[in-house]
Amino acid sequence: MSKTYEYVPEPALVKGNHDFSSINSLITDINLRPTPKGWYIAFGLSNLLLFVLLGSIAYLIWEGTGIWGLNQPVGWGWAIINFVWWVGIGHAGTLISAILFLFRQDWRTAINRFAEAMTIFAVMCAGIFPAIHVGRIWVIYWVFPIPNSMVMWPNFNSPLLWDVFAVSTYFTVSLLFWYVGLVPDFATLRDRIKSKVGKMVYGVAALGWRGSNRHWWNYEKAYMILAGLATPLVLSVHTIVSFDFAVSIIPGWHTTIFPPYFVAGAVFSGFAMVLTLMIICRKIYGLEDIMTVDHIEKMNLIILVTGSMVGFAYLMEFFIAWYSQVEYEKAIFIIRATGPYAWAYWIMISCNVISPQFFWSKKLRRNVTFTFIISIVVNIGMWFERFVITVTSLSTDYLPSSWGYFSPTIWDVLTYVGTFGLFFTFFLLFLRFMPMVAVAEIKGAMPQADPHNYDPETGDYSPQEIEIPEPNKESV
Amino acid sequence: MSDQKTNDTTYWKSLNELAKNKEYQKYAEREFPEDASELTDQVSRRSFLRVMGASIALAGFASCRKPMQKILPYSRQPEEQVLGVPNFYATSMPFQDTVAGLLIENSEGRPSKVEGNEQHPSTRGKTSIYHQAAILGMYDPDRSRNPQLAGEQVSYSDFAEFAASHFAETDRNILFISDASSSPTRHRLKTDIQSRFPNSQWVTHEPFSDDNRVEGTNLAFGQRLRTVNHFDEANIVVSFDDDFMTPSGHKNSVEAAWQFSMARNVNAVEDTMSRLYSIENSYSITGSMADHRLRLKSSEIEAMIFALAARLSQDLNGLDAYTDYSNSMSGHEMVETLAGELIANRSNTILTAGTGYSPAVHATISALNSALGNIGTTVTLHNLPFRDNVDNTTAFAEAVSQAQAGAFDTVVILGTNPVFTAAADLQFADAISNVETKIHLSEYVDETSRACDWHVNQAHFMEAWGDGYAYTGQRSIIQPQIAPLFEGVSDIELLHTILTGESGSGYDLVQNTWRNVLSGNFEREWERVLHDGIDDNSDGFSNASVSIQSGFASQIIPMLETSITDRIEITIKPDPTLFDGRYANNGWLQELPDPMTKITWDNVALMSPSTARSLGLPAERDFASDEVPMVRIDTGDGAIEIAAWVQPGHADDSITLYAGYGRNTIGRVADGVGVNIYPLRTTGAPYYRTADISAVDRMYEIACTQDHNSIEGRDMVRAATLDEYRENPNFSTYESVHGYEVPGIDAAERESDDYLAKGGPISLFDEQYGPDYQPQWGMAIDLNTCFGCGVCTIACQAENNIPVVGKREVSRRRIMHWIRTDRYYEGDEDNPGVYHQPVPCMHCELAPCEQVCPVAATVHSEDGMNQMTYNRCIGTRYCANNCPFKVRRFNFFNYSDEYLTTGDDPEIIQMAMNPEVTIRFRGVMEKCSYCVQRVNRAKIETRKATGSRKPEDGTVKTACQQACPANAISFGDLTDRNSVVSQHKMNERNYVMLEEINVRPRTSYLAKLRNPNPELS
Amino acid sequence: MAQIFPKWTNEAPRRILIGAIIILNAIVFGVWYFFSPEFTNVGYAPEQPVPYSHQLHVGQLGMDCQYCHTQVEESQYANIPATQTCMNCHNQIATNSEKLAPVRESWDTNEPIEWVRVHMLPDYAYFNHSAHVNVGVGCESCHGRVDRMEVVYQAEPLSMGWCLDCHREPEKHVRPVDEVTTMGYQVENQLEVGRELVAKHNIKAPTYCQACHY
Repeated sequence: MSKTYEYVPEPALVKGNHDFSSINSLITDINLRPTPKGWYIAFGLSNLLLFVLLGSIAYLIWEGTGIWGLNQPVGWGWAIINFVWWVGIGHAGTLISAILFLFRQDWRTAINRFAEAMTIFAVMCAGIFPAIHVGRIWVIYWVFPIPNSMVMWPNFNSPLLWDVFAVSTYFTVSLLFWYVGLVPDFATLRDRIKSKVGKMVYGVAALGWRGSNRHWWNYEKAYMILAGLATPLVLSVHTIVSFDFAVSIIPGWHTTIFPPYFVAGAVFSGFAMVLTLMIICRKIYGLEDIMTVDHIEKMNLIILVTGSMVGFAYLMEFFIAWYSQVEYEKAIFIIRATGPYAWAYWIMISCNVISPQFFWSKKLRRNVTFTFIISIVVNIGMWFERFVITVTSLSTDYLPSSWGYFSPTIWDVLTYVGTFGLFFTFFLLFLRFMPMVAVAEIKGAMPQADPHNYDPETGDYSPQEIEIPEPNKESV
Repeated sequence: MSDQKTNDTTYWKSLNELAKNKEYQKYAEREFPEDASELTDQVSRRSFLRVMGASIALAGFASCRKPMQKILPYSRQPEEQVLGVPNFYATSMPFQDTVAGLLIENSEGRPSKVEGNEQHPSTRGKTSIYHQAAILGMYDPDRSRNPQLAGEQVSYSDFAEFAASHFAETDRNILFISDASSSPTRHRLKTDIQSRFPNSQWVTHEPFSDDNRVEGTNLAFGQRLRTVNHFDEANIVVSFDDDFMTPSGHKNSVEAAWQFSMARNVNAVEDTMSRLYSIENSYSITGSMADHRLRLKSSEIEAMIFALAARLSQDLNGLDAYTDYSNSMSGHEMVETLAGELIANRSNTILTAGTGYSPAVHATISALNSALGNIGTTVTLHNLPFRDNVDNTTAFAEAVSQAQAGAFDTVVILGTNPVFTAAADLQFADAISNVETKIHLSEYVDETSRACDWHVNQAHFMEAWGDGYAYTGQRSIIQPQIAPLFEGVSDIELLHTILTGESGSGYDLVQNTWRNVLSGNFEREWERVLHDGIDDNSDGFSNASVSIQSGFASQIIPMLETSITDRIEITIKPDPTLFDGRYANNGWLQELPDPMTKITWDNVALMSPSTARSLGLPAERDFASDEVPMVRIDTGDGAIEIAAWVQPGHADDSITLYAGYGRNTIGRVADGVGVNIYPLRTTGAPYYRTADISAVDRMYEIACTQDHNSIEGRDMVRAATLDEYRENPNFSTYESVHGYEVPGIDAAERESDDYLAKGGPISLFDEQYGPDYQPQWGMAIDLNTCFGCGVCTIACQAENNIPVVGKREVSRRRIMHWIRTDRYYEGDEDNPGVYHQPVPCMHCELAPCEQVCPVAATVHSEDGMNQMTYNRCIGTRYCANNCPFKVRRFNFFNYSDEYLTTGDDPEIIQMAMNPEVTIRFRGVMEKCSYCVQRVNRAKIETRKATGSRKPEDGTVKTACQQACPANAISFGDLTDRNSVVSQHKMNERNYVMLEEINVRPRTSYLAKLRNPNPELS
Repeated sequence: MAQIFPKWTNEAPRRILIGAIIILNAIVFGVWYFFSPEFTNVGYAPEQPVPYSHQLHVGQLGMDCQYCHTQVEESQYANIPATQTCMNCHNQIATNSEKLAPVRESWDTNEPIEWVRVHMLPDYAYFNHSAHVNVGVGCESCHGRVDRMEVVYQAEPLSMGWCLDCHREPEKHVRPVDEVTTMGYQVENQLEVGRELVAKHNIKAPTYCQACHY
């Protein structure tokens, strides 16, 4: 008979023997200590890119969408690809905060804060593209249902219109969620910062938080409600984004598998992006104790799962195309893999389907450097997924007479690169002025927060010694 | 062919797929083609559009605030002028020595659109691309604006003064070189001139005339006659490289095409079709209509004609000259087949050869026609009252050599442009440099003008009085529509000045001629002819009675030796769109895709795939790039470098070149476009000759609107032979995957009133097709008669103010044409079949575009049209993406507006535009509107007149329908069971593209039929 | 530790909230009122080269609209009269009036008088007068009481919404065809009369885009 254990505890979330105050200083000192040179350099570079973005948008509006590589038949190019790509990245944040919160996954506390920040900035980048890709941006407000002297409403049948609502809702809720989480930490900063102005600013942001029992009670309720609200949004946003394609009749777009497939892809790319940023930050700011290899491994598992889901979706597309026996469907998928854009297709497959499979090995998924590389590869792959979907379907659709090859121009590229400027400008500001880890929440996940860890008599902190037993060799 | 066959036949568009070539797999590697950069692109595009004014439209933009506007009413109200109601005036357009009857639409007193004249046999209300484009030609700001003396601007009175003194000496040796003209007035003045200047000599120069055909009749019958083929009378038509359906191939192409399509018009299984055999070197659109097509080098074609004559001489009288003749083509299976067919259908056949071939060839053709008894039935011959009884070609050549020798002190050149177009070995420019006084009348300051000291700016035919004979001899008056924009003068006015030293009025000159022509009350008759656009007392030229002249044999036999070699031959033809170059500055024609190659803005060296391979060139194009390799063509007399283009079905060891390109400092459109091939042309070999061809290590960008991919066995085009059709009349329609029949096909549906609304799968959409008091518009296009000439595209461009976007934008696949003609190849690459398919907006009843537009800028109208509301469009391009037929066009740049701030005097251009159609601003989508402006006008007029909203069938014609010479397009109200379009949609051959995706197109097609010789298949 | 904020800040949140609400409402109202054609276009009364008074000619002399705007029944445009039309009377009446100088000049020089357009539709909106006046849409309905205008001004917004008001409910506006040029036409039972007229003329005023935009 084999040996059984009644209690196998999780390894501690926070490594190193930290107590509440050391956590406080570990995280908030980053915001309190004088700005490091490196930050200025990074900020300068991202500003440069930001100006590239503004410049190319200005030229676009001045000259017209013709400066992009668009043509008949390919009416949507990089703009829409980048839109979908950034929105996808914007998925991790809310997923981590809301869904993992509802499932009581305490390990989220180490990463939820800047995952949410990343989400918000990513959605901002995404939001730019649907706006600027239209031919006449000065009348874009017509997509909003505003009463007007033309007595015209927008066309509520149009997926583009659904996008407008889906994305803006998602953005609003994520922003609120993020801010609510920040309130107690702002209070912490308010109390620790020396400068008068700092106290003022953080004080306003903290909304007069005093950490009273009643405050905590409201806070927990609000956070719970927002989590409940955000959870369906995580699924809805990319579902609706996928409708832009799925609702049309173009072979390769008109596919019912798109909603789940897009959501999986979004989570996939979102987590990859979080990892990229996280691995950099924990190194620079010395947060290895909080963002541990265990966290990285957990996230790699999610990447492995979602990556495989995406791969499955690719297979299903082919199967359905064959199973449906619609010649145009069959044709488009064969052309994708063999035709003018095969190169893009195979980049997509290798980055999205093959690369995550390495994470079956525990050794690799706990290897930080390797994870970092894969996390970047995955996001490249996801960009190409959107390229393949958008461009190939349009360039070779029903009438061969109007098939055409799409090649981007310098302006397509600059606009895309520019959005990174926007993203990192905001992200660096966030790192500088806001606690990048949810201090209050991570404390709650530490042994110190557990009443059982205090000596009932003295009330001193004395965590029980738990030795993690070796599994019984011969029984396994 | 039956359902399955429809799927079996492999249609293909470019050789890419057929040859399964490497390139096609290989543009994998290319992510950014070299030309991807917009930065460099900007320059070219802007500078291009800056000067493209003439081809772009104005009327106000689809969305921008308007400044304070002035209203300028008449001071004295002219009669019959109702503001906003266009008037139509008859006139006729001269082309070489013919005229075509036209009606010109005048809006507020300015010509704005050209239509055919229903009462005139030369057009029957139809038009060719040249007629349609004439309107832009007249409003071309690049036309010469004033006379010049040695490049200095002078006034016409200055010239008149000069003429008065210069031509006072009537013993001058004057050489008159004129373009071909059928004008009685010109003829009258010419005779006056010849009597006034006894030492003068008058020759005619046309680079591409049918003079050799006339010389042929002279050889055969001893008279110089015009040959008229009546294609509607013939069972068998054999065309030896005669592209008689293209305006560049035949002076009377509109009537010829109409007659030909009449002879092949099939509405029911009982109907019959004529059979067309086409033997040609390059693929012409006439060839694409052929039931049997044989590709041969030009020299072999010549030989085959002689061989055929020899073969027939065994069975027919009157061909004795050929009895003991034979050449390498004798015994060719085609010769045998033709012999059989021709003998079986005696006196019901037509043989015709391309105008380029030698008089001997045409003499043989004439001899054959007379031997077959065709003369008088399917082929008639006529004397030309205005034609000198000389061989124009040789006369011109002699005159030039005399000029070279200094035989003339004055040369007067009327209209024609010999410095550019005359045979290279004549060295025309050099020759006239030995002439003291050189006077040139032309619309543009062209190559010849610069070689002359006097240039007089010629009036456009819509600006000046004139007259002429139609190809078949009906007299017409050319009535000006507007006062000369640039004070140009007509040829007759110039001649008058030369005669009298005074500037005369064309009106008087023409009237003086017609006083002797019209009988009865002159004023009344004159008014009638002006009004009708034709003098219907003149029922064409009288038939000449002919017989093979004695001594024909002795004359012809020495001419029969052939020049077939195994070297590569070049054949020079006029460009289908620019003709000999005279239309080179016309943006519409420059951007009209070549009917076969779909190339715009360039000429190329057409060759067969195997010839290309033999030259070491790829026989397939790189799908991802517009660059094509170049070849060097050296004839010994001249050499050019030009882009090589693989034309499936082209004869091997043969290269076809189109003349008319490579003009310089003519105008902002024409300059530097394409390559001038006239240097390769000599008096000895004006049509074809051998040459040295070698590949050049250079690439050249070609803007081709359609070299995409194979049609992948899809059934966009459906076709069958006449016999297959008779067995299975429903061959073109079959149960779609959704299991419902195409609207208008199913008998049950046909009987029911709302057959459009019936049938089909369950739809999420409201199946209402509009209230019953509204008409329901629909269109049917008969692929059996459509021969792909592209006049629908130009007519649409003229009617709907569609901008010209320029070579670079075309090569970026941003051409704006609302109706395009797709061209599909079928079968093997050496001699494929060709199908033409015009594609306008399908006006789907369940339009995919409508459902995805976020701002409802495109929705359905009550009368069943897919409306595009420019002023609501925000330009997401989602509709274009979701259009299965890709008929939507987007204003990527401000194409229409560009010229408003540029170009010296845009107001000239603006007059060419249709005031009824909104100009589209940058960033909005546009597409075929079924000419809604015409529809709405008709509906309002009908409503005022009868109270009904349903115009009678035929009162509304779309621009494309009205222009089509083959009557291929029908348009009308589908709720009217008797309308032509309803009848067509009830025809068994009716089908719609992509019925299985259930978008329910309102535009349907009638399947293509061929009538091959059963013995050959 | 010391207070960061003074006492008054306790009130701040409430004040900010109320302020925001007021400002937002102000903005909405402002746009709704000041940006509407009703405000921007109605009342546009440019100065004309000739101070022609409709009040005098129509109101007092009782001239019919169609005496001058002759083509309104057959054309999409209600033509501005040719100088000729003015001269018909004014070569007898007020022959040397200062105000009429431009008219006489135009007549002598044959140069048009440059009237300033009052009712400006966008180029992409096609309005056909004949289609309206022939089924009983009164001049007044769009141009207002011209007979009372010393200087012609735009009386109606001419906005798309305004057009649709009538296209959706023509019975509220149509009048007998012979009353089209009447100024100040009124019947108390407009709805009944309107319905009869709509039935009589088979009026189905279109509301789809292409009726006006193409």
